[in-house]
Amino acid sequence: MMKKLLAALFFLCASSAYALDGQEILKQVDRNLEPESSESLRKLINVEPDGRKKEFVLYSVRKGRDQVVGLFLAPESDKGRATLRQGDNMWLYIPEVGKPMRITSMQSVTGGVFNNADILRIDYTAEYNVEALAEDGDRHLLTLKAKTGEVAYDKLKMWVDKKALLPVAIECYAASGMLIKTLHFKDIKEFGAGLKRPATIETDSPLYKGYKSVMIYGQIKKREFPDEVFTLNYLPRVGELRK
Amino acid sequence: MRAILVLVACLLLGGVQAEEFSFDASAFEKKPFEFGGYLELKAERADLNRDGSLYKLNGLDRDTLNRNTATAKLNAKFTQGIASLNLKYSASVQRDELASLHDNHFDEAYLSLKPDPGFTLDTGKIAMKWGKGYAWNPVGFIERPKDPNDVELTREGYTMVAADFIRNFDGDLKTVAFTPVLLPVSNHYNNDFGAPDHTNVAAKLYLLYKDTDIDFVWFNGGSRTTRFGIDFSKNLTSNFEIHGEWARIRDFEQRRIDAAGNVKSVTRDVTSALIGLRYLTQNDTTWIAELYRNGTGYTEPQLADFLQLAESGNPLLVNKAKQISPAYARPNAGRDYLYLKVSQKEPFDIVYFTPSLTWMVNLADKSWSLTPELLYTGITNLDLRLRATWLHGKSYSEFGEKQNRRKLELMARFYF
Repeated sequence: MMKKLLAALFFLCASSAYALDGQEILKQVDRNLEPESSESLRKLINVEPDGRKKEFVLYSVRKGRDQVVGLFLAPESDKGRATLRQGDNMWLYIPEVGKPMRITSMQSVTGGVFNNADILRIDYTAEYNVEALAEDGDRHLLTLKAKTGEVAYDKLKMWVDKKALLPVAIECYAASGMLIKTLHFKDIKEFGAGLKRPATIETDSPLYKGYKSVMIYGQIKKREFPDEVFTLNYLPRVGELRK
Repeated sequence: MRAILVLVACLLLGGVQAEEFSFDASAFEKKPFEFGGYLELKAERADLNRDGSLYKLNGLDRDTLNRNTATAKLNAKFTQGIASLNLKYSASVQRDELASLHDNHFDEAYLSLKPDPGFTLDTGKIAMKWGKGYAWNPVGFIERPKDPNDVELTREGYTMVAADFIRNFDGDLKTVAFTPVLLPVSNHYNNDFGAPDHTNVAAKLYLLYKDTDIDFVWFNGGSRTTRFGIDFSKNLTSNFEIHGEWARIRDFEQRRIDAAGNVKSVTRDVTSALIGLRYLTQNDTTWIAELYRNGTGYTEPQLADFLQLAESGNPLLVNKAKQISPAYARPNAGRDYLYLKVSQKEPFDIVYFTPSLTWMVNLADKSWSLTPELLYTGITNLDLRLRATWLHGKSYSEFGEKQNRRKLELMARFYF
């Protein structure tokens, strides 16, 4: 009996140590992907099975672990649309409508395979706990579980490069266990100020056979922002932040 | 053979190259002057309702009406330091078999000063939009009415001075924003807002409290009677949002006409309210539902009295009905409504294609309008929309007596 108890205790300690290590790795991944307070310029490309493309350009700023604002600069039909995320809260501002509307993480402001949670990504540590850590050659394999039901994906499998501590691929699962999409991180680039990360994220989904969406980072810069930027009233003026 | 192999290799490499994606961020540097807008062409065919009271009131004598409309919306913004000049200009030409109309005006034209991220001062013509409702906004005290059939339609603003103070906090109360507004009305400014020679005051206090948007709104001035209200919006889950509005209007004056053609004014305090939800299913179907109580509207018998007069054939009574028709014939002049919109994102794996169905019901007389719509945005900077509308209702009901029985509309909007 005592042996069994000790064995159980050992396994519990081991798993919590794993979780702690995994959590530490995830924290590093978050910071290696983006500084806590930064601005970036991205292009989102939706590719259809026949090769046709639709492109969007998004300027975004972030602060802390869970505040992001995005502003569409192209195409002309979407120019001026702005999105705000504060944790689980998301809003979309359309100039013609003239006031922000609440949106959800599973919708997509651009259409295609990326949804709002992908486009307005906040820190993984803000949304997920590390459930398991395994080794897969020169990669860590993190299994992440959503902290709440508000999170877009119930579970993630994240392969992390052991040296660079950057994600290589992420599989996103629904609560039912169904694979929703896979994100592939490619093309590691130097963005200045010591930030070196994948510039390209490609995604495909069994739900969108033949379709692909690509996100390319053109710029990522450290920059401080006041909290007031991450509010509904500021959404129509996000463009003023650009220098 | 070698040449063929080299050619094949080049072709393959070319294929790989074509798969490469690039992004030149320097092409998107901020410019002090920005210009854009869209050109919209719309063709409509309406099957007229020969039995409708409003058809008779408008003195029509035809079965169909074909209308073409061209609209240009031009936006310009000039930024210099803390100041920016914002211009939104609208020009349209509308032609049908009965008339030709053209219109041009500034929807917005204002100067904005932002000395601090937490403070903004705007002066000029501004389209201020308050409320959380999708189809209606009872708390939209200082804006032109929204068209529930086309909620994203740009609306002309009013000339005003508006400030915006924003503060963020840690804890349950994350954001507080205060928006005071001065709205003068004279024979030169805002002369369609209400009684002239008054400077009206309005204000909105916004709170983000426990992940819920809450607005307290208030209006006071001589041009319109005092009114105040509250709205809210909250995501209950990642795919389910609820919202609501409540507004109290003091001393609201309503002009009524009875079955004998007598016009009287009734002044009383009225309450308008709205409760709604937006729900996204796992299959990417969005449901929007709203219940609206229009305190400023007419009851079923009051609407029926007007509609009977309009088709009475008595020139005197018809003339009286014509005079009061702006109040009765406005969109949703009744008391209680249901709005339901179902849209399906990208069915059959056709990206950028959104079919939808909108049903609007006057709950008192059970008349309704049904609008199926197909929207395609797959061509960059071009929106294509095909929409049909059916109106249905018994005699002397709101939608049963409209001028149109059915309408088909094709719209193309090109952005530049």
